[in-house]
Amino acid sequence: MEFLSNILTGFQVTFQPINLLYCFVGVFLGTLIGVLPGIGPSGTISILLPVTFKISPVSSIILLAGIYYGAMYGGSTTSILVNVPGEAASVITCLDGYQMARQGRAGPALGIAAFGSFIAGTFSVIGLMCLSLPLSRFALAFGPPEYFALIILGITLLTYLTQKSIAKSLMVAAFGFLLSFIGIDMISGNARYTFGIPGLMSGLSILPIAMGLFGVGEVFQSMAAPEQRTIFETKLRGLLPNRQDWKDSWKPITRGSLLGFFWGIIPGASSVSATFVSYALEKGCSKHPEKFGRGAIEGVAAPESANNSAFGGGLVPLFALGIPPSVVTALLFSALMIHGIQPGPFLIPEHPDVFWGLVASMYLGNIMLLIINLPLIGIWVQVLKVPQFALLPFILLFCIVGVYSINNSFFDVGVMMLFGVLGYLMKKFDYELTPLVFLFILGPILEQSLRRSLMLSGGSFLIFFTRPVSASLLILSGLVILSYFFFRRQTKAVVEGNAH
Amino acid sequence: MRQLESEVVGGLFWMAVGLFFALAGVKLNVGTLTNPGPGFFPMIIALILIFSGLLTLAKGLIRSVRPVSGISWKQQALATASVFFYGLLLDFFGFLISTFILMFILFGLLIKGKSRWYRVFLYAAGTALASWLVFSVALSVPFPSPSLTAIWR
Repeated sequence: MEFLSNILTGFQVTFQPINLLYCFVGVFLGTLIGVLPGIGPSGTISILLPVTFKISPVSSIILLAGIYYGAMYGGSTTSILVNVPGEAASVITCLDGYQMARQGRAGPALGIAAFGSFIAGTFSVIGLMCLSLPLSRFALAFGPPEYFALIILGITLLTYLTQKSIAKSLMVAAFGFLLSFIGIDMISGNARYTFGIPGLMSGLSILPIAMGLFGVGEVFQSMAAPEQRTIFETKLRGLLPNRQDWKDSWKPITRGSLLGFFWGIIPGASSVSATFVSYALEKGCSKHPEKFGRGAIEGVAAPESANNSAFGGGLVPLFALGIPPSVVTALLFSALMIHGIQPGPFLIPEHPDVFWGLVASMYLGNIMLLIINLPLIGIWVQVLKVPQFALLPFILLFCIVGVYSINNSFFDVGVMMLFGVLGYLMKKFDYELTPLVFLFILGPILEQSLRRSLMLSGGSFLIFFTRPVSASLLILSGLVILSYFFFRRQTKAVVEGNAH
Repeated sequence: MRQLESEVVGGLFWMAVGLFFALAGVKLNVGTLTNPGPGFFPMIIALILIFSGLLTLAKGLIRSVRPVSGISWKQQALATASVFFYGLLLDFFGFLISTFILMFILFGLLIKGKSRWYRVFLYAAGTALASWLVFSVALSVPFPSPSLTAIWR
């Protein structure tokens, strides 16, 4: 009964007119920026973070989450019709989606992408609901040693699962950690790395950093590549997939939803990699793998489902443990912190309206998205004709005004621009940004939990191994590191072997 | 554009960043392993950064792996500079005119083709006016009031 009353609370929150509006604005905006190449969901969410100062925590989290899963729907449209991914998680959809469009089957491709997203989105909300509550109850007993071990495991997985080199992601992580030291040390009260600059005394805020790395960084990237878009002119009749399409797709959608959800829980395993893994899985499962890349509907259905359910999966550790496994969940983490809500096991009991309101809004948002994306597809095709240059200066201005309005200071704007340049260069030099954000946010918790644990134990490191949870988490991290020497080399060999 | 060895450039860059943090944090009390002070983590992490930067550099010097080429920087550098310039202008001209100047520069960087400056002017004026109405009038974001006597108000 408790479960039912919780969901009821959630829907009461969501059905408040103001929250319905924010949910709609979120998913609509999400679809829009998903359709438009050049600006992705992380950029949009960071740009909108200052806006959420003015609205309630529930509304802001509903809005920001809506942008993300809305973008997951919208991204497929561009992939299928233009062969350019609207955002990173739709890269793989280009392979078969565009081929389907060339064969005159753009309608079913768009249709199965939207339905797959809908099924996966709904599934992942149910999973989120069922997993978060027990996990957070379990985590209520966590003390500093457990948090230390948990974050260590997070960093290990993040570094291990990187698609770039491990050294690179280690360096980016270290940099993020170093940035988090700026300001007053919470335990000793010493100022660190403030250089007497007043703007640094309270530490760097995540807002100018995120808006720089993702907002300004994406603007710079789009400046560099003003691509010519040719929209595939095709008659968009019959968006509904036929019976054969469904027969081919229901298994991939199911597998994609399941895989995406659990993949999304793991730190560093983003929705982008979820789509790649899911595509590879379908190719492996298929009886005719040679069709993949030539317009196989399975190749659209599975990854589009996986990227949607990965988001729901990613919310599980955020709400149950306070560990954001991806950039977008890290941004949601910051949005909650702005409102003085600390994500972690106490969030659901102390702010049930935030969690259950978000859950209920995601049910609703997915339904809205199905309507926004299928009957209104014509609008999005028109949106694609907007030239990119028309948007970039405006996005940059929006970043400047947004970051300026937080403290009414131009110092933050300067910080944002520096991180914009850095974000652009890091993307160009093939670095991942996730470790930076992850450690910037969790670094302080890691440092304090280690120092508090040592205070608890009087300086003995045994405390991490006498407590069962922290011991098993640390052993797990050790196993992950060990497995690197066995598996990663093998997979590398396999990859290199395939290349020749 | 010249080709850059990404490993060499990256390694050097991160070593410099690590060195900077290590030197700037040298006065902080490191404490001991069992009782770490405020300088303990910064030093360890800075050393990790220097060390992995060194490894990356070495890797790049031993075998040239991936040359990065074609990083365009002109537009980005000009855009960044114009934003800092905008910060200076804002105090003097106020939001509307400064924003018009900023937008004029940015659209000028992006728009190519025939009747270029006419279009640049049009886009810049439109964006400046619209954003002034939204941010300054409707949302009343407190921008610095222009020291130049406001004739446009």
